[in-house]
Amino acid sequence: MKAFTLGVSMALVAVLSQDAHAYLHFTTSGAGQSRVLKWQRTPVRWFAADRGVPGVSASDLQAATARAFATWEAVPAASITFQFAGFTGAEPFDEDNVSVIGFEDHPDMERVLGATGFLIDTITGEIVESDIFFNSAFQWSTAAQGDPTRFDLESVAVHEIGHFLGLGHSALGETEMRPEGGRRVLGSASVMFPVALGRGITHDRELQPDDMAGISDLYPAAGFREQSGVARGRVTRNGAGIVGAHVAAFNPRTGALVAAFTLNNDGEFQIAGLDPGPHLIRVEPLDDADVESFFSRSAGVDIDFLVTFHGRLFVAPRGGAGERLTVAVRPK
Amino acid sequence: MPFATGHRDTESQRRLNSLCVSVTLWLVACVAMFLVGALPAYAQTAEPRRVGRVEVDAGGGKLGGADLGSADANLRASDPARRSFRLFSTESRFASAPTFHVRAGFAFNRRIGVEGGLMVSRPDIRTPVSADVEDAPAITVTGRVGQYAIDAGVVVMISELRLGSRTVPFVAAGAGYLRQLHEGQTLVEQGHVYHAGGGVKHWLLTRDRGFISAAGLRADARLYLMSGGIAFEDRARPHAAISGSVFVAF
Repeated sequence: MKAFTLGVSMALVAVLSQDAHAYLHFTTSGAGQSRVLKWQRTPVRWFAADRGVPGVSASDLQAATARAFATWEAVPAASITFQFAGFTGAEPFDEDNVSVIGFEDHPDMERVLGATGFLIDTITGEIVESDIFFNSAFQWSTAAQGDPTRFDLESVAVHEIGHFLGLGHSALGETEMRPEGGRRVLGSASVMFPVALGRGITHDRELQPDDMAGISDLYPAAGFREQSGVARGRVTRNGAGIVGAHVAAFNPRTGALVAAFTLNNDGEFQIAGLDPGPHLIRVEPLDDADVESFFSRSAGVDIDFLVTFHGRLFVAPRGGAGERLTVAVRPK
Repeated sequence: MPFATGHRDTESQRRLNSLCVSVTLWLVACVAMFLVGALPAYAQTAEPRRVGRVEVDAGGGKLGGADLGSADANLRASDPARRSFRLFSTESRFASAPTFHVRAGFAFNRRIGVEGGLMVSRPDIRTPVSADVEDAPAITVTGRVGQYAIDAGVVVMISELRLGSRTVPFVAAGAGYLRQLHEGQTLVEQGHVYHAGGGVKHWLLTRDRGFISAAGLRADARLYLMSGGIAFEDRARPHAAISGSVFVAF
């Protein structure tokens, strides 16, 4: 079975130009400043394309997509709303100020199940339009229990809507290389992991703590900042900061994993949305997915270090940031 | 600003720590002085003839460790035959720690009294990490907690089992409030504490007259059940504890 990458169109988006920031959010840079991409007017209106594919009618597409939007809308600590505006004959990725979700045939994109594109205001970072296409070169299903021969449309829609909202990929997952090329996912703890779990698997219909922390940080509901804590610190090797290290906070009380990256040359990271209480901090190199799924090639992501745990428990406060951490890693 | 509020807590907590230690030392010093001054009375007294109505004691001991529970960092498995894919495993435990306590009690009669007190300790949380899927070296992650148990309970003297003329066993049980402050003063966690146990009181002096009516030594063995507070599983944690103290009755 082949692995398929959930791609995202980022032609207008530079990811690594941001300061160290909770979770991986899309940003745009201009006039020496980076701005987080997000919708600034709600409810966000979206249209469903009026074409289906074999096994999935246009109304099936609309229903699965509506459920996926509702999943994000239901995150208690986030405040974002959506409105289905109707069916349209327009195609995704037309620059028409209308957000369209539909199927497109891209047999050339043999590892891409779906993609999301944006039209943004580069001055303010406001998302003006976002379109999603699902690659009809694959077989899709909207069956309640999934279809083992087809990809679950709702699961992939939940992932793409994460991008639609401004979230980047999460690296909370483990993969292995396939002899024939590509990666096979062994497990993931985030809907926003860039590689799909596989045909027939519907796990990604349900958001994980990492996803909820990311969306809540981007669209915080009242009380989110006061009720959750932030871990911040540095990852260093021989005293120098590391770019692109993946830092995960594990809460042994809830089992939740929430992660972020070091995003600047000082190796600084920040993980927001942590439940108050003790956490273990684990740092690993970004080696379970293609680096380009997260950062631009020029980002200089460093993967030459060993997986390392911070020796002290990190205690997330109820509101604000805990003690600043420094995790020293060793080269491989 | 939440962070600033936390900082204020930090200051007041430090003051509370200092106060508790000061009170403990002061009481021990006072009791020592009384004992020295009362030696003649002790020599004249064969057994505790009068139980003081009010009693204070202070001392120290050791609070045993307790399991906090195990937790695996799990990913959702892509293999339908597996429910989860383990990233690494943890097993957390409160380590044993020295304790300091102060108590005040009131004896209704020779047999039954009530008492309340504060017990302070600073146990470590120890979390060994193992079975990392990417072979991270095994490590024990640690953190320190300031722990305060304020409780009240009943003490029953068992005079029938007295050991000689001045040593009387007792049983005690009670409940109270548990307050735990994480290292770095970043978060306060609260819960409940229950205890049951017993011990012996040994009177070094008793007097019929004067402000001080008796003084002596006390040894306790208790089982504490702590619920809430820092807990990785939804169950009460049993901690064994032993302590010794000096008491003065008025």
